[in-house]
Amino acid sequence: MTVLGANYRRDLGIHRFPVLVYVLTVLAALVLQAWLPRLLAGHAWFDLPLVVIVYFALSRRDPVQGTLMGAAVGLFEDALTHHAIGVNGIAKTIAGFLAGSVGVRIDVENHTIRLLLTFLFSLLSSAVYVFVYRVLLGLDQQWNWVMELIKAVANLLIAMVLFPFLDRLQVRD
Amino acid sequence: MESFYVRYRNFLVLLAVLLAQMIGLAMQVRRADSGRNSLDLPDGKGVRLIRLWAEATVATPERFFHTSKLDAGLWWQNYVNLGHVRDENRNLQKTIDQLRLEQAELLEDAKEGQRLQALMGFQQKYVYKTLAAQDIGSSGSDASRVFYIDKGSADGLARDMAVVTPDGIVGKVRDVFPHTAQVLVVNDQTSGAGVILETTRTRGILRGNAQGRLQVEGLLSDPRIQRGEKVLTAGGDMIFPRGLPVGVVEGVVPDPDRDSFIDVIVKPAAHIDRLDEVLVITSIEPGFPPAQQHDLATSVALKGAEAEAIKEKQIREQQLKEQQQEQQKASAIMAERLPGLTNPNAPAQNPAATPAPGKAAQPGQAPATPAQPAVPKLLQPKHFDRFSPGAASQPPSKAESSATAGQGSKPAAKPVSKPASKPHPPAHPQPAHTERNPQP
Repeated sequence: MTVLGANYRRDLGIHRFPVLVYVLTVLAALVLQAWLPRLLAGHAWFDLPLVVIVYFALSRRDPVQGTLMGAAVGLFEDALTHHAIGVNGIAKTIAGFLAGSVGVRIDVENHTIRLLLTFLFSLLSSAVYVFVYRVLLGLDQQWNWVMELIKAVANLLIAMVLFPFLDRLQVRD
Repeated sequence: MESFYVRYRNFLVLLAVLLAQMIGLAMQVRRADSGRNSLDLPDGKGVRLIRLWAEATVATPERFFHTSKLDAGLWWQNYVNLGHVRDENRNLQKTIDQLRLEQAELLEDAKEGQRLQALMGFQQKYVYKTLAAQDIGSSGSDASRVFYIDKGSADGLARDMAVVTPDGIVGKVRDVFPHTAQVLVVNDQTSGAGVILETTRTRGILRGNAQGRLQVEGLLSDPRIQRGEKVLTAGGDMIFPRGLPVGVVEGVVPDPDRDSFIDVIVKPAAHIDRLDEVLVITSIEPGFPPAQQHDLATSVALKGAEAEAIKEKQIREQQLKEQQQEQQKASAIMAERLPGLTNPNAPAQNPAATPAPGKAAQPGQAPATPAQPAVPKLLQPKHFDRFSPGAASQPPSKAESSATAGQGSKPAAKPVSKPASKPHPPAHPQPAHTERNPQP
């Protein structure tokens, strides 16, 4: 239970990154998310921006930062689709907020926990997306949960590679 | 108050952000006439501005990636395929010539169709002008099947223009930016295209499903709809011209919501998952465009030259055939005359059975008997005597005896005849059709 212990949590430091890393990482995630489906024949069963949001929210341990980053990235993704702007925004806002809130309470240095959280937040983001689209907007759209599950697994695999790489870009005191 | 804000700062920020987005969403959703909510409407100014910024941010690196990939690919293709260019060019030229001829054959049908349409007051729209564009990126989401092309309003693109490939339809232009445009693919759930099944002539609306597959929904169950049937655009949606290929029927499944209705799964003709270059139909006009008319004129000229050559060839063949027939006829006549030993004055044995040369037997008549080999026939002497041929071995017949009895009482044993080599001509020439000694 040392993972959830209060003393241990206080000893944990907040990871900081250069501003350029924030900007370039998020921008690269957005561009690759838009460009890679062309190479993969439309089988873009992953969500790079979400993985990046979860990583920075967990690392910064700040729900507000996670909220704002999730909202900005989600709105940007919405702007590239032909759907209403805000559906992805709400889903990623909630995911970012929860990731930042969880980061305060658990040890996110543990790589396995981060991967598991990435998987769960992927499913949560999809569920919020469907809720907003169908319930709040009342739009008719079929949904394939198997594909969402595959997407969550793909996000987990991407996180396995991406998180250690981004860890190297931290500002160390 | 300050402590409240500090204590619930995170939640307040979350609520504020969510509330702002929900208000923004509520402003974008419109209730359609059918009572269902809809999003596929022209964006407002604010929304359009956000889309423009986002697209401009992403398009620049996408163009860079695309150009780099294209350059590398082109370099390799140029290097490897340089040797085949001439052969390909020759083959393509042959294909063009062939297509021109085929097009000319269809010209008359097309003109007739135009005349009929004019009579019916219906104007068929023909593809007038297209613009080639390249796919440079996508939305990045399976829920929104759109992609971006590298041509925009500066190139003359506008909303609701049809996007096709030579294989089939792809989608329609949904949003246009100065140098890019967003294309909604036909396999998106919000897309729709009027289609018709080629054989059964069943009309329906083509949509995409959650898996990104094309299907024609809500058709009445029809056992004639079979796998492999072609699906074409119907032309009634005012976006796609009529008759463009859409795909082929891949299967028929019952409609999950309504009994006795079916959904037809369609395999797209265009490779909508792997698009590099597309054509945007920028103008649709009635009648044939000038470029096509020029092509058709060329085709007609080519077809005329070819037709002349074919006609001359046919005339030559006909002349040759007639010559051969004449030769055969002359040979047959010569073959009939060749024996030469028959009495030219002898009548035909059975005129009914031997039709005239070159005259076929009349229906209902017995077929002509084949000609018997000619046997030399000696003329009967007018006065039979002992020198007559065969007098020594053949006594005169009773009829001859009686015939001679009438002329005088001469002994039959002493007939008088002249040598056969010098027969006397008859004093009174007998008609050719009477014989003194008719054959039985």
